[in-house]
Amino acid sequence: MKGDMYIARSSEEEILEKAECGGAVTAMLKFALEGKKVDAVVAVKARDGNRYDGIPVVITDPAEIAETSGSLHCASPNIARFLKEYLDGAFGMKIAVVAKPCDAKAIIELAKRNQIKLDNLITIGLNCTGTLPSAKAKSLMKDEFEVEPADVIGEDIEDNELIIRLKDGSEKKKSLAELEEKGGGRRENCRRCETNIPVMADIACGKWGTRDKNSTFIEVCSEKGSDFVEMAIEAGYIKVEKPTSDAIETREKKDKAARELALQWQEKDFAALEAMSNDERFSYWSEQFSHCVKCYGCRDACPICYCQDCILEADRGFIPPGEVPPHMLFPMVRITHVMDSCVNCGQCQDACTMDIPISRLIFLLSKKIGAIFKYEPGMDATKLPPLRTVNDEELTNEGVEVAF
Amino acid sequence: MSIECVPTICPYCSCGCGINLIVKDGRIIGEEPWKEHPINEGANCPKGKNAYEFLYSEDRLKTPLVRKNGKLEEASWDEALDLVASKFKEATPETFGSLGSGKTSNEESYVLQKFVRVVMGTNTVEYVGRLCHSSAVAALMPAVGSGVMQTSQPEIELADCIFLAGVNIMETFPMIARRVQRAKSRGAKVIYTDPRQTTTARHLADIHLPLKAGTDVALINAMMSIILAEKLEDKEFIASRTAGLDELRDFLSKIDLKEAEKITGIPLEKIKEAATTYAKAERSCILYDQGICQHTVGADNVRVHADLALLTGNMGKPGTGVNSMRGQISGEGSGDMGCLAVFYPGFKRVGEESAKFFEEAWGVKNLPTKPGFLYIDMLYKCPYLYIVGTDPMMAVPDVNNLKKSLEKTEFLVVQDIFLSETAKLAHVVLPAATWAEREGTHTYVDRRVQKIEKAVDPPGEAKPDWWIISQLAAKMGYKDKFNYSSAEEIFEEIRSCVPQYKGISYERLKKNVGGIHWPCPAEDHPGTPTMFLQKFNTPDGLGHFQVVEFKPPDELPDAEYPYVLTTGRSIFHYHSGSMTRRTPRLNDEVLGGFVEVNPEDANKAGVRDKDMVTLTTRRGSIETQARVTDDVPSGLLFVPFHFADSCANVLTNPALDPACKCAETKVCAVKMEVKA
Repeated sequence: MKGDMYIARSSEEEILEKAECGGAVTAMLKFALEGKKVDAVVAVKARDGNRYDGIPVVITDPAEIAETSGSLHCASPNIARFLKEYLDGAFGMKIAVVAKPCDAKAIIELAKRNQIKLDNLITIGLNCTGTLPSAKAKSLMKDEFEVEPADVIGEDIEDNELIIRLKDGSEKKKSLAELEEKGGGRRENCRRCETNIPVMADIACGKWGTRDKNSTFIEVCSEKGSDFVEMAIEAGYIKVEKPTSDAIETREKKDKAARELALQWQEKDFAALEAMSNDERFSYWSEQFSHCVKCYGCRDACPICYCQDCILEADRGFIPPGEVPPHMLFPMVRITHVMDSCVNCGQCQDACTMDIPISRLIFLLSKKIGAIFKYEPGMDATKLPPLRTVNDEELTNEGVEVAF
Repeated sequence: MSIECVPTICPYCSCGCGINLIVKDGRIIGEEPWKEHPINEGANCPKGKNAYEFLYSEDRLKTPLVRKNGKLEEASWDEALDLVASKFKEATPETFGSLGSGKTSNEESYVLQKFVRVVMGTNTVEYVGRLCHSSAVAALMPAVGSGVMQTSQPEIELADCIFLAGVNIMETFPMIARRVQRAKSRGAKVIYTDPRQTTTARHLADIHLPLKAGTDVALINAMMSIILAEKLEDKEFIASRTAGLDELRDFLSKIDLKEAEKITGIPLEKIKEAATTYAKAERSCILYDQGICQHTVGADNVRVHADLALLTGNMGKPGTGVNSMRGQISGEGSGDMGCLAVFYPGFKRVGEESAKFFEEAWGVKNLPTKPGFLYIDMLYKCPYLYIVGTDPMMAVPDVNNLKKSLEKTEFLVVQDIFLSETAKLAHVVLPAATWAEREGTHTYVDRRVQKIEKAVDPPGEAKPDWWIISQLAAKMGYKDKFNYSSAEEIFEEIRSCVPQYKGISYERLKKNVGGIHWPCPAEDHPGTPTMFLQKFNTPDGLGHFQVVEFKPPDELPDAEYPYVLTTGRSIFHYHSGSMTRRTPRLNDEVLGGFVEVNPEDANKAGVRDKDMVTLTTRRGSIETQARVTDDVPSGLLFVPFHFADSCANVLTNPALDPACKCAETKVCAVKMEVKA
């Protein structure tokens, strides 16, 4: 049932050995394929074993699942976009997809827009307190930890610390807060993300609430998820036990602590922008967008953006073609089209050729809109976004001070 | 169904940005960011984001073509290559010439020059670098002993002052503009010389010097004069690492600054501001490109910029230097591989010694010891031509004249991926595989060697350039010297005779995302991001000052041709347009050619925005659309060179820099009339 919780681990020795915390996700993915519950699995793999080069993979052979075991903290591929763009939004096949909270939220948003067929998906959510930018992470390993990036075999983010496990069996840790004060550490959007447990997926899996290193805490988040887990248990892929109330409490505490940290980062990220007067804001953003080289990196990366015939393209006759920076309407239209639904995945800012802090701006706006319309993107596929549900009355409200 | 992420490097400019190609059932269906790549970290410029569409253009060459009865007709590889072999056998070392490419892999460029030297017995092999980078080499060899980029791309961010000399970097190298912007966010100042008010001037530059076209020597001499007068030169650096300042100092002391102001059109105050900003910064980095290179004084222009850097101690440390941009993925590599009439591979000067070295390396005898014809000369002088992956009918100045000459060649063979303007004139056309259709290495702007994987098959019968050249060599009796069955075999041979590449291997490249910078002398050597840390590559290890006097451009306006014509690029297009005009997302941004006209000039000439006009120079005429804008000052017209139907090089002046034979495509005299 929705809300059920388990402490789970794989029943397969081989998986248990390779797994980071119980291998339950790996086992369930195997079950999904071998039990013919899905046609394919979409997961993330370290290409050639390189932890800084995580790529999405489409797996139809259960033997290949094992390669995707373990969490890669120095990779952030765009899973929702991958599903939408290259797998036809799962309209033609059943897929089990492994998703961080932002991926899972983006999938929900795309489902609202009829770009992903949720019925064909089993979303296996992973707890996440952040990922590191791939290229910079290597410098971090060299400069801060003084290790060869290739010697790192695992990372953990725990209690605001970054812990790395090395080939020789040793561990090193550093304060994430310190690293991030210096401009290193996690991707900007990750730092301010409050959603650590992906309850909008079908099941949420993580290590909070597990006492030993060899189990996964599973929370069932939907009926589909419930059926799936029960079938996996029955088919013998995972062994489960009930979590103690202590374990559940510990998990809640960790989540709360991470959320508070995230809210602090939100304040920090937004403070400078909020402090500006309207004139200053206009000046600031005009200057930022004057760097834009019209690569469409943000538009391509944004999982919410899906129009086949985007209004911003040169042949639409809307944005004057051939200019860089493009007319101010270019970023403005992009922002207005997605700002009610931003899931803070940060892919746009990662993609920006000119380091424009787009994710910071759009997420800030989405928080404001969320407060006004009592709406949270990415949580419930039946709740349509404000741009769709806003009514005439609201649009013509007089005396409404739309001051951000 | 198989979906794979295949890592590759962008096929456009020389930054060398990483891209993940999404390949489904043998066809590229999309691109995704490659976030680990150190050059672009998951971002890509407009061209990089639309990198692969051109591969699937309908008009890719798929079979060899042989001209029969005036028409190019499909033929088999054997038929085509047998014909080429028999015709090339008629040629002599003086009548044969070959042009290499800015896009072929190192392996392919290497095999081409080897073919020309071993099979054809001549050093007449050149490539596009002659038309743009040769000025840099001619200037920097005497100055520092090498024409290569001195700092690496990531290190540009360390600079406190960046001097963009003749490069509209926001449009031409967005990924470098990214570095410049990062330096700016840390407080760096950006100086920019360009007659036009480009987007770089408006949005990146702090100090824009809109000098009159071709007056860089006067400007920089003035700046150096001011630096010496204000005692801002780096005395310690000069004493320990340079030679020849006295002569330069003496020359500069006689510079009339008022005269410089007049020549350049830049107020003295501004010249002073630029000079002191550049000299006072801890690390100053010059990034330059065709704005200073493509002149009859191109080499001189680079000389004075090198002087400026030496004078202020801005060489030999990260984030400094005099750094040429390079517009092609093989700009550096094809030169390294010796597609140059004056250099064997590894920049060994053509002569007895180098010939002997390669006779030993290649197991051959009688390699040519005299320099061959240079690029433009070759096209006019050689009746037997082998042109690989390049389009002189778009790229050289005065193409109408070139066409007349090419139409009279005895035998013209063009190897390309599309029927280029030059291919249209050929006797035989050979279809080549390109970019992600074959394995190979390329060497990007900061001497960075990276490997491209084969992601998809080439279309039809198209084959990798190295295969075609090797087959041709075999048909001409040299199979044992060109017995390659893979690109890696060729690379291993390169390693054995090009010392700069010795420590680089396919295995190492696979493990090092972002590649390895040469010089890399051994397999445990990490490569060399920054050049000249301890000494320069000159015989005495010192940097040498050069005295340069200002000379005006070859052809300036007069009564009949009252404007200066300059040429350049658009961010959305690339060079001859062969790739970008076949990519709708890019082509839709700029559908065709245009000419930028200053509003005052437009008014006087009765030209309104979007009018069709005829531009005429002493070489020829084109029709194009007027864009009235104050991006250009009065007296200057700007035309992009990407469009075959309004080809800028119909107009340009074939006058050459005597030091390097680079053509003056940046300045000539033109007239404009409204099209009737």
